[in-house]
Amino acid sequence: MASVSLPKLTLHSLLPTQSPKTPFCLNNSILHKLPQSQFHGLKLSRSSSTSIPSSSSSVKASIFAKVTQGTVPPAFTLKDQDGKNVSLSKFKGKPVVLYFYPADETPGCTKQACAFRDSYEKFKKAGAEVVGISGDDSSSHKAFAKKYKLPFTLLSDEGNKVRKDWGVPSDLFGTLPGRQTYVLDKTGKVQLVYNNQFQPEKHIDETLKLLQSL
Amino acid sequence: MGAAESHIWLEPILAGLVGYVLADLGSGVYHWGIDNYGSAETPVFGPQIEAFQGHHKWPWTITRRQFANNLHALARTVTFFVLPIDLACHDSVLLGFVGVCSGCIMFSQQFHAWAHGTKSKLPPIVVALQDAGILVSRPQHAAHHRQPYNNNYCIVSGVWNEFLDTQNVFEALEMILFFKLGVRPRSWDEPNSDWTEETETSSQVALP
Repeated sequence: MASVSLPKLTLHSLLPTQSPKTPFCLNNSILHKLPQSQFHGLKLSRSSSTSIPSSSSSVKASIFAKVTQGTVPPAFTLKDQDGKNVSLSKFKGKPVVLYFYPADETPGCTKQACAFRDSYEKFKKAGAEVVGISGDDSSSHKAFAKKYKLPFTLLSDEGNKVRKDWGVPSDLFGTLPGRQTYVLDKTGKVQLVYNNQFQPEKHIDETLKLLQSL
Repeated sequence: MGAAESHIWLEPILAGLVGYVLADLGSGVYHWGIDNYGSAETPVFGPQIEAFQGHHKWPWTITRRQFANNLHALARTVTFFVLPIDLACHDSVLLGFVGVCSGCIMFSQQFHAWAHGTKSKLPPIVVALQDAGILVSRPQHAAHHRQPYNNNYCIVSGVWNEFLDTQNVFEALEMILFFKLGVRPRSWDEPNSDWTEETETSSQVALP
């Protein structure tokens, strides 16, 4: 509920009128963020109002190939934490939870990975596979997976090509890679797109909820 | 004073209130920066960064410092910025804002010291102001001195702490700095012995 996170009355009413001392326009970014984190629905509808992807070619790609609920995402082959090539097609025949996260060894991503790890049995019980994707290289993924004993695959999206192909939106005016999770069903079609940068554990709840209904 | 003149006081007072509120925000942003970035070798800020690290290691020592000690460094900086403003400006609203904002900043280290005090040893008026939320409270600041040392950075009134923490403002700033400049804030990594608080009884024992 939005009201839970609102500050004391005086502060909130002062906010829009004061000249920001903070380095960037907090108001807009937080107001953009609030609806996403509090009211996020199943549909991915933030493309028009939020940050623009960094290069013009990715804008074109995202317009034509953006992955949304009901579509089949573009195929890819990426290296996992052991340096082995892994294709998306490998997972056909069972549901897949594919989560894009900003970077290894950052607080939110660590929380998210550990939350997936702690609920991994539930995902297995639902017959699903969990795959994490970030722009870090295989050695970074290997160290990250080892440190936190992650039982699932981490893929290395070097150059963030797949992130751009799938149209994963950025946060805070393009400064932060977005945290977005896709649930694909057995046929490879997207059944859920969930985005939440600052409440990473919610990704686990939302995806499990959907998997139980698949 | 007639009704027509009372508004003359209202605007500077309101400006002062805004200054008080912004001083708290400023204290938080500055504190966050110093706690997380740079080192003893950083130009200009090095000694302060080292002092803040030392404070995390031995937080109780701040309660043993004299009043003048808590004020002098900030007073120097405030004088440098505020004296020219005082001499050049005559607008009462601006002066109200600058006076209260800079005054709160100047006293912020003393407010911080009081937030480390024990209730029975503090002047009753200070305890009353802390309990009323006008000065940063002891429990709120104590939360900053617990793992993962990444919250409750404001030390004037603490009025911004809840908002900044629930909205993940500092986490967002940290992520942006990480992605744009490649710098990791100290609060992301396991606290090492430079950061972890030494308890008085264990100060003889080496920390892991």
